[in-house]
Amino acid sequence: MQFFKTLRMKPWLQQDYEQAVTMVSLEQSNEEKVITALKFFLAVITVIFFLFTITFLQRTQSFDFQALSGEPWLPFSNAKLLWQNSAYLLLASLSIVLAKYVAEKEHIYLIIFSLAATALFTLLFIFGQWQAWQQLNQAGFNISANPANSYYFLLTGVHGLHIVGGVLVLLRCIWHFGMGLSCQILATRLKFCGLYWHYLFFLWMFLFFLLTSSADTFKTIALICGF
Amino acid sequence: MEHVAIADQVDQSNHPQSFLTKYVWSQDHKVIAIQYSITAIAVGLVALVLSGMMRLQLGFPNEFSFIDPSAYLQFVTMHGMIMVIYLLTALLLGGFGNYLIPLMIGARDMVFPYLNMLSYWTYLLAVIVLLSSFFVSGGPTGAGWTLYPPQAILSGTPGEHAGILLMLASLAIFIVAFTMGGLNYVTTILQARTRGMTLMRMPLTIWGIFVATILGLLAFPALLVSAIMMIFDKVLGTSFFMPAILSLGETLDHTGGSPILFQHLFWFFGHPEVYIVALPAFGMVSDVIATHARKNIFGYRMMVWAIVAIGGLSFVVWAHHMYVSGMNPYFGFFFATTTLIIAIPTALKVYNWLLTLWRGNIHLTLPMLFAIGFIFTFTHGGLTGLMLGNVVIDLPLSDTYFVVAHFHMVMGVSPVMVLFAAIYHWFPLLTGRYLNNKLGKLHFWGTFLGTYAIYLPMHYLGFLGVPRRYFALGSTEFIPQSAETLNASITVSAIIVGLIQLVFIANLIWSTFKGKKAGRNPWQATSLEWQTAQVPPAHGNWGKELPAVHRWAYDYSVPKVIDDFIPQNVSPEEVEYLVSEQDSDEDSYENNNQGEN
Repeated sequence: MQFFKTLRMKPWLQQDYEQAVTMVSLEQSNEEKVITALKFFLAVITVIFFLFTITFLQRTQSFDFQALSGEPWLPFSNAKLLWQNSAYLLLASLSIVLAKYVAEKEHIYLIIFSLAATALFTLLFIFGQWQAWQQLNQAGFNISANPANSYYFLLTGVHGLHIVGGVLVLLRCIWHFGMGLSCQILATRLKFCGLYWHYLFFLWMFLFFLLTSSADTFKTIALICGF
Repeated sequence: MEHVAIADQVDQSNHPQSFLTKYVWSQDHKVIAIQYSITAIAVGLVALVLSGMMRLQLGFPNEFSFIDPSAYLQFVTMHGMIMVIYLLTALLLGGFGNYLIPLMIGARDMVFPYLNMLSYWTYLLAVIVLLSSFFVSGGPTGAGWTLYPPQAILSGTPGEHAGILLMLASLAIFIVAFTMGGLNYVTTILQARTRGMTLMRMPLTIWGIFVATILGLLAFPALLVSAIMMIFDKVLGTSFFMPAILSLGETLDHTGGSPILFQHLFWFFGHPEVYIVALPAFGMVSDVIATHARKNIFGYRMMVWAIVAIGGLSFVVWAHHMYVSGMNPYFGFFFATTTLIIAIPTALKVYNWLLTLWRGNIHLTLPMLFAIGFIFTFTHGGLTGLMLGNVVIDLPLSDTYFVVAHFHMVMGVSPVMVLFAAIYHWFPLLTGRYLNNKLGKLHFWGTFLGTYAIYLPMHYLGFLGVPRRYFALGSTEFIPQSAETLNASITVSAIIVGLIQLVFIANLIWSTFKGKKAGRNPWQATSLEWQTAQVPPAHGNWGKELPAVHRWAYDYSVPKVIDDFIPQNVSPEEVEYLVSEQDSDEDSYENNNQGEN
């Protein structure tokens, strides 16, 4: 609990100076700055989805809520497409780790291969999510028909925006790499992208669980949360 | 990658040459700060004019044909939203945060200058989108600054089509801008402090901005979430917040949504927002008081702890804005308790300001006048807050002018007093010149006495039961004629206070070019921003080498030292003593701070 230790310091005492100088690390590199900012950014995203989730869980208990799975005629009782999408996102998330690893070793072809794999799997995920939207619409589960549908479109939509943001950053990385960025710096940047993609994946798995649960599951969760 | 300690990095920043890169598309935190400030003040003036129009209607009903009930509601809404978010948040964090963070912690710039620039331009876009709603058909939304559904998006509310959508879009854009800026502020404070600048050696201004930024990063998402969901309800016909409803005899397609849910989300943002505005103000006023009373701030550690504690508590009090919405009594009890608990660290801060002034060498400069004025207005606003925090008192008073008086004292006048104190205090750093003293005194007394003339009577109006948000009182039996007279007097005061702000604007413009030269460190302050080689600080702030920090920011009137202040970057060896014996050094520190150990 470094923070509490810091808060107990008495800055008006001169003898704290020696301690002070050693406590502030002067080796802060660019990397640490980006990591700090990225952690705060992911915290912001977490709060956004946390709040969405709270409102969703409350809404699951309203009379007009109809879960999207649980009965054979509901669209996500068989969520094959979503499992497939999850696999794409997992592969994208893993290939970015591979890209970072080979960038450290400076294997140019492998870097290109793994980055291409990341881009491909991420695009497949986005396309797969789009397909899921289409299927829901065709089956009559459109956005305003039921709160469960509304939340499905809302949450996957916001998650999609989150991914598109990541893709733009990754494209910028690739562009810089094409313009002659060194492999080591690329590796550092891919480390951040990796963190972002892992986060995206776990967030998606959470949303997947949340959005495709059955009415009984919601009832249990709501009971635990006190809604 | 080779890592060079920040303090040892050579200043390699490219100094922009052309007018465009230097003053328009600038990545220099100081220029961005000024851009933020000018935009915020400009949009704030719009909101000030709107409040003047509201007052004209309230003070002299039926005299002004161009103010109809719809226009009145639109003025209320836009005035509230602009003042809280586009003026106060933007000026305190975007303006002062941007200007002061790198200078006070000894950095060359923000850690992500490009993101910082993007933050300003996104903020400007949010302002333009917001103001554009004045020019669309139907005008801006008149849903009140809280935008409560279902009425906010139903027919009958002014601006139900484009107005509300532009408002929600503008808020979403603002939040994106704030997030970009906020990530910068937090990262800069955590990662770019110069050598020797520990967290506990930072001036309280930076502590206030730091904690407020974290609050902003965690609270604005709630507003974003509610804005997105309301846009969905309006545009796509979902029912997140919309219950089954009959509107003008027609059954709408919505069903099952919860308007109360919106209120929870809104106030989960809305209450921390109060402290997003207040904490930087608390920090800045602490520094102004310490500097102009030539005394170390009383209880520095307690001040920091109080800032952190207020920040934490501000997330568990939101439902005290919703007592009249109806809630479980235990729920109300919980929120009343937390609300009253938050008074403890806040009162602690007020006592510490007073104890800093106690037996200080008080210089009644313009910044000090505004700072002392702030202690008055904040105490008054805070005490009525204690009353309203109790459910039983809030219920009858909630929809009256008492609440208007309360939140204007605590969240309107108080931060604005600090903003003025801060502008008068730091203006010599920005321009190298003082603001004119005579105009400043006129501005202070006009604003201080004038705001009391406005808000003190409002408390009485509230007790009489005069309802807020009403366009006109009409013939209401329980409200005496004297309330109308009081309303007229409030309006006259409001217009005077509004006009006096023009004196301030004129002073700003005049003093920028013709003001008395201030020279370097005119207030003899200890904090780092006054110790730059050039005034105003040049691009890169510190010339070749970053300063090293040897002490906290409050070494004022240290016994046996020749000057009555020791800047943070002066090492113990450089301090000149009245007595030549160096061994009195440590004694002097202890003597000076006995009270706090």
